Amino acid sequence: MTATLEFGRPGAVAGRAALVPLAAREMRRFVLNPVFLFAVVMTEWTTWTGGGGTTTEIDNVNGYPAVFLGGFGMMATYWLTRSMRASEPVAGVTPTTRPTRTAALCWVAIVPFFCGVLTLFGFLHPYPVGDAVYGPFSPSARLAVLVGQIVVPSLGGPLLGVALGRWVRFPGAAFVLFLVIFGWVELVTILTLSHQDSAPIAVLRLFSPFAFFTVHSDAGGVTAWRGSPWFFIGWQLALCAIAVLVALLRGAEGPVRSRIIRALAIAGATAVILLVLAGTGGFTHAVTA
Amino acid sequence: MAGAVLRAGAWPAVAGISGVAVVVGGCGAAFPAAATALLPVCFALLAAAAAFTLDEPASLVVDVTPTGPARRTAIRAVALLTPLAAGALVLLAAALRGLALPWAAAGLALAGNVLLGFAAACVARTRTGEPGAAAGAAVVLVLMAPGLVPQVARWVRTFPAPGAGGPSSDHVWWTVLAVCAVAIAISAGGRRLPRWRARGAIPRLPGAVRP
Repeated sequence: MTATLEFGRPGAVAGRAALVPLAAREMRRFVLNPVFLFAVVMTEWTTWTGGGGTTTEIDNVNGYPAVFLGGFGMMATYWLTRSMRASEPVAGVTPTTRPTRTAALCWVAIVPFFCGVLTLFGFLHPYPVGDAVYGPFSPSARLAVLVGQIVVPSLGGPLLGVALGRWVRFPGAAFVLFLVIFGWVELVTILTLSHQDSAPIAVLRLFSPFAFFTVHSDAGGVTAWRGSPWFFIGWQLALCAIAVLVALLRGAEGPVRSRIIRALAIAGATAVILLVLAGTGGFTHAVTA
Repeated sequence: MAGAVLRAGAWPAVAGISGVAVVVGGCGAAFPAAATALLPVCFALLAAAAAFTLDEPASLVVDVTPTGPARRTAIRAVALLTPLAAGALVLLAAALRGLALPWAAAGLALAGNVLLGFAAACVARTRTGEPGAAAGAAVVLVLMAPGLVPQVARWVRTFPAPGAGGPSSDHVWWTVLAVCAVAIAISAGGRRLPRWRARGAIPRLPGAVRP
């Protein structure tokens, strides 16, 4: 007599079994997406050429991976998610639930995340952590600035694209959101230039999936703005968790739905706390070095 | 007939994106220091709004009606007044706030952005019934290239920032206007149904002999 041991509920095991091939399939589609391929090429190009000019401070160059891997990655995953809408009447009657299919789409973000990690290592070659372009930040804070500006946006952008694709029907939503976020980052950065020591402006600057931390000082040197890069990473990761949960919420039913809503409340509260800590932590005023 | 063609337009998309553009441009007018960063974003959004003016969900039916593509395109071009009016409103707000912009060049840039979006939609409309999303995304990426890639900004400027060196944006926009006019004339005048649609419009029975 043979005894079979099964760990976990049968539904959960079946869901996990379906998730792996689905995630692999979605990853294959994502990797072949021309928008993502363009983003990777542009990221590598800007990393190697350093933006084509003289780098006086690190924020001159480290916004490009966020724009290409994060912004363009968001557009690619949005279209990837929307491309399944036409087959929804067929896919909707298969045993695989919509949250499982959404989870498979979310796993796609691993690809740009690894691209971001590789870009970070590529960055550390021409701009080692001890370089003067980072300004007065400590070595660990310099690393946090790079992780928060290169690696985490590469993960969060594609996750945001999946959430947007699950909830918004308008086909131009991804590039409109990309432009709105781009405009917001520009606006709050320019406001910070004239209110460098203001705590509310610092919180506004960090109330974004991407933020700058330094500026080239007119008197020479690099000025670091107030705010904690480490807590900012926490805020960004909370935003990533919120994006995943919002995406999973679409089509979730019963106890799964209530669990997701509870998790969303916790993630939202955590995000607010981390944003306040990011705005009030770190340097309490602008420091030039 | 013109009223029916206009009513079928993607007004929520055109008006919605134009509204977002007004908000972004309004922030540029409210914070003059950020104007040269936000007004190009506003104009790119208006170009995207213009790209949605030719969206036709019922294109399979509409494309085989006696109304020609040139006439339909001309009627739909009326919808361009929405992004143009939104852009004019933003420029007016910027002028009232005392921004020192080269207004003629800014107006030319606004017209060029909107016409570029419309031309992209005209070209894409020959292949698909709803070209807005693809044409809008392509136009936005092209228009934002100088802001995203500094190497491009050294060669091409799409917004006339006061006091900035480098090439003038006027040359770019006059060239774009000329190319767009040609592209619109060719697309709207001599376009044909895409092949896949022609096959769908004339179903062939199994075993039927080609005449």
